[in-house]
Amino acid sequence: MRNGKTLLRWMVVMVVVAVASTGFVLTSQEAQAAGQALEPTESGAPSAMVLFPVTEKANPAKAAMRPVVFNHLVHEKKISDCETCHHTGDPTSCASCHTVEGKAEGNFITLERAMHAENIAKRANGKTPSSCVSCHNENLKRRECAGCHAIVTPKRDEAYCAACHNVTPKMTDEEMQQGMQGKLASDEALATETVLGKKPVNRIAPQAIPYKVQIDGLKDDYEGCSFTHARHVASLMKRMENDKLADAFHSSPETLCQACHHRSPLSATPPKCSSCHKAAIDPAHPERPNLKAAYHLQCMGCHNAMKVARPQNQDCTTCHKERAK
Amino acid sequence: MSHDINITIPTKDKMLNLGEFSLKRPGNIITAIILVVGFILTVIRFTQGIGSITNLDDNAPWGMWIGFDLLCGVCLAAGGYFTTVACYVLKVPNIHSAVRPAITTAFLGYLFVVFALLYDLGHPLRLPYMFFFPGTTSVLFEVGLCVATYLTVLFIEFSIAPIEWLSQKWAFLKAWRKPLIRVGILLTIMGMCLSTLHQSSLGALYLIAPNKLHPLWYSPFMPMFFFVSSMAAGSSMVIFEGMFAHKGVHQYMDHLHLQEANEVVFKFAKAASMILFSYFMLKTIDMFVQANLHYLWSGYGMWWLVEMIFFVLTPALIYAKGSREKNVTLCRIGSVNAVAGIVLNRFNVSMIAYNWQLPTAERYFPSIWEVCISIFVVTLIVTVYRFIVYHMPVLYEHPEFREEHH
Amino acid sequence: MNRRKFLTVMGSAGVASALGAATTDADAASHTYPYYEDSYGVLHDTTRCIGCRRCEKACQQVNNLPMPEKPFEDLSVTATRRRTSAYAWTVVNKYKVGDVEIFRKLQCLHCNDPACASACFAKCFQKMPDGTVHYEGSQCVGCRYCMVACPFYVPGFQYDEAWDPLVQKCTFCQPRTQKGQLPGCVEACPMDALTFGKRKDLIAIAKKRIAENPDKYVNYIYGEHDAGGTAWLTLSGVKPDKLGMDTHLGNSPMGELTYGALGAVPMIIGFWPVVFGGVYGVSKAKDAYYKREKEKAAKAAMEAALKKVEETQGADAAAKVREALAQAQEHGCSCKHGEDA
Repeated sequence: MRNGKTLLRWMVVMVVVAVASTGFVLTSQEAQAAGQALEPTESGAPSAMVLFPVTEKANPAKAAMRPVVFNHLVHEKKISDCETCHHTGDPTSCASCHTVEGKAEGNFITLERAMHAENIAKRANGKTPSSCVSCHNENLKRRECAGCHAIVTPKRDEAYCAACHNVTPKMTDEEMQQGMQGKLASDEALATETVLGKKPVNRIAPQAIPYKVQIDGLKDDYEGCSFTHARHVASLMKRMENDKLADAFHSSPETLCQACHHRSPLSATPPKCSSCHKAAIDPAHPERPNLKAAYHLQCMGCHNAMKVARPQNQDCTTCHKERAK
Repeated sequence: MSHDINITIPTKDKMLNLGEFSLKRPGNIITAIILVVGFILTVIRFTQGIGSITNLDDNAPWGMWIGFDLLCGVCLAAGGYFTTVACYVLKVPNIHSAVRPAITTAFLGYLFVVFALLYDLGHPLRLPYMFFFPGTTSVLFEVGLCVATYLTVLFIEFSIAPIEWLSQKWAFLKAWRKPLIRVGILLTIMGMCLSTLHQSSLGALYLIAPNKLHPLWYSPFMPMFFFVSSMAAGSSMVIFEGMFAHKGVHQYMDHLHLQEANEVVFKFAKAASMILFSYFMLKTIDMFVQANLHYLWSGYGMWWLVEMIFFVLTPALIYAKGSREKNVTLCRIGSVNAVAGIVLNRFNVSMIAYNWQLPTAERYFPSIWEVCISIFVVTLIVTVYRFIVYHMPVLYEHPEFREEHH
Repeated sequence: MNRRKFLTVMGSAGVASALGAATTDADAASHTYPYYEDSYGVLHDTTRCIGCRRCEKACQQVNNLPMPEKPFEDLSVTATRRRTSAYAWTVVNKYKVGDVEIFRKLQCLHCNDPACASACFAKCFQKMPDGTVHYEGSQCVGCRYCMVACPFYVPGFQYDEAWDPLVQKCTFCQPRTQKGQLPGCVEACPMDALTFGKRKDLIAIAKKRIAENPDKYVNYIYGEHDAGGTAWLTLSGVKPDKLGMDTHLGNSPMGELTYGALGAVPMIIGFWPVVFGGVYGVSKAKDAYYKREKEKAAKAAMEAALKKVEETQGADAAAKVREALAQAQEHGCSCKHGEDA
């Protein structure tokens, strides 16, 4: 595996990726600077579009999610085959078959299912359709993402939904109603406004987090561990660079912290592990690992998922020194 | 009814007749060697632990001593209940002279099953604990209880022979003889019940381990298979033992015994033939009903077929031909084949098809010393049998207690 | 296997029909032990186990077991297929599934209705309300039927012991749990791959883990129902049989497989004497009938013969023959006992 040839190939790939992404960043900034227009797509589809919850019934109660602005340009670039999403082979809009109620053309699969279905049964002909969510989930299995996402499942809260259901607040009720009935003349203005109005999320500053953390509350056979906190964070951040999916969903600077500092409100100064995980298991919460296990499960869970070859799971002394008896 | 046997019947002045043992014949010499080796192994077994002379391990807690000494021992001693029921309950004519030898071998069989079991038990002295802490949910408890009771029944049935011998010296024993004969029919029916129970229970022992025994041998009907095959074993053993008795202790057989001997062989051969056919059908039907057909094309399947064809069907056919043509030799060949088949079946259930899913390295094969102990036990049975035949009226009628038979 | 399916279907049909009456009674009727609602157990999550053998070491220490040949620090032994023995009450084995190495800890699973307890003919095994399957060595006869019966190949026997050889297995660290301590292995596990708690809570925890991580676990809690349920439960990321767990044991206690045979005992004791007594009576009556008929025929023939003698040779001759016959009969009777029937 680790011969020169492979390494060389990797380096070439990385250089290409780096050049390409730099070019992309530059061009998108250019577009923003230009003011109003989005970069056109190769396929000729609109660069961005509003996905209204198209319905055949009137909706006087206005009970509907905010529409999603779908960046066709970004997604098109990631995917080689249009049929990945346009699974019928016909590049028409999703809502032409999948409406809020569902209709015969779409096999009565509702718009909500078409976009959110997670466990889609494999089709015999190999053309298994994918929804937005199932495709995003697939992407979380990439090595760069798998570390955190193997040990933590994002909370399905409002912020999570808003990552996609993000049409500009400038949209009027009238536009919404028209869109739902498929009668809106053009959604271009709304889509462009939303995409261009999106502000990049700031990363948490290296100074704001501890550089090293001494984990030594549990010394027994082994000494404590000096955890290179900043290095781990930097390494994760590096892997997320120019990852549009991560940018879209990691909606606040502290989102990344949540992988390890789970189950507490977003904060740059989260509570200590030991505030929930006790040295001995808490009989009231037998489901909560004890402190030692909590550390090990967190560290090893991430290392295993990201296929970090070293240290091996049973190699205690890479992280702790053996304690003199 | 002739008085013409040419032996010394023990009398008040000369109770013992041990001359036969001291003759320098190959049989006696081999017996002596086996008994010495067995005695040494016994000392080792009881001072060094079971592991010292066996290949038993945690995966194979039961080996040769259970597979042969217990399972085969009990099954092959089925001649006792089979003959007594045939003679006393079904009143099959002209087999009365076979009853006493059959009871004698059955009694010895069970006695030495218990004796051999002591080798296999970790705490042999605690055997009676099963009565103090009865594990009533256990099949083994049922086996133990039935074997203990049946051994007592057999002892009472058998005791008439030693009484006839010992009463030469201690005349008061004669008073016991008649009451014992009177309760004979009760004992026979009790023996039938107890035999049905524990012969089948030996098969039921393995019901609890469906994941360990190969599906071709495991069946919810194992108790029935064990019982049916024990009947075949019972009739076969009467022929089988008779064959050796005619060779070894022929001079102790009186006229009546010799006169009836062939008739007994044909009748038992016919019975065994039918039982073996029915057993063959039962096993085959069971194989189909449990949808085990596909297993036949595996190695175990071939082995199962070998057992079924060469050790069940073949002896059944030999018996059928032998009894039909009144051919004693053929019947005896059939009995050897059938007895081998019974032993093979018990070996299959207890050792060969047991733990079939384990890798070969973890499988059990008996050590030479385990086999030696089993041979030792068989030799002991033969020796005690000889002692009994030399002293007690088993193969002949005692002149003093001669009686008319049906 | 079809048979097992068949039995399972039959079993569940029985339970379903009994449900109407009273569930607990129906359970108690067919089981050796009641289900102890508050019994304890351990959840073994194989996705967490790293094969460090600390549980083995802790077991050896808290139970004063002999040291193994190779030290506990030598992790290569997990690659060989090991089982529990009289001197190693727990072992961790490594299973290769594809490229992934998965570890599983083996020890007594402390069944709800244990096969060993059902098999023991001297009542050495007891299912305790705390979940332990307790073994009382002082009344053990050493027959090793428990080892035949155990579907999990757990109990080991001290074959090397001459004077007091016993069956040995995990005690669930009962002496420790009674003092409020965790079992040795659970306490030593650095990964919480072993979670101690009430069995019902553990099942809830396991279900939650599966629900939250459907990709990580297969939806099977080994031991929830297998062999009637066990106190130790196992979660895994692959099908349990890939980790050497037998999934074909069915959902009823193993002992139930023998209860049919045991139930036949009273039937046979009650019915066989009637059958065989009846056969005896019939064959005896038949014998007596034939004997009578034979005597009648003989007597008739004799009378006919005497008549003929009287006719041809006169009354004197007939009287002589009669006398001779009577003498012969008397002589014949003297050797007749007829008791050994």
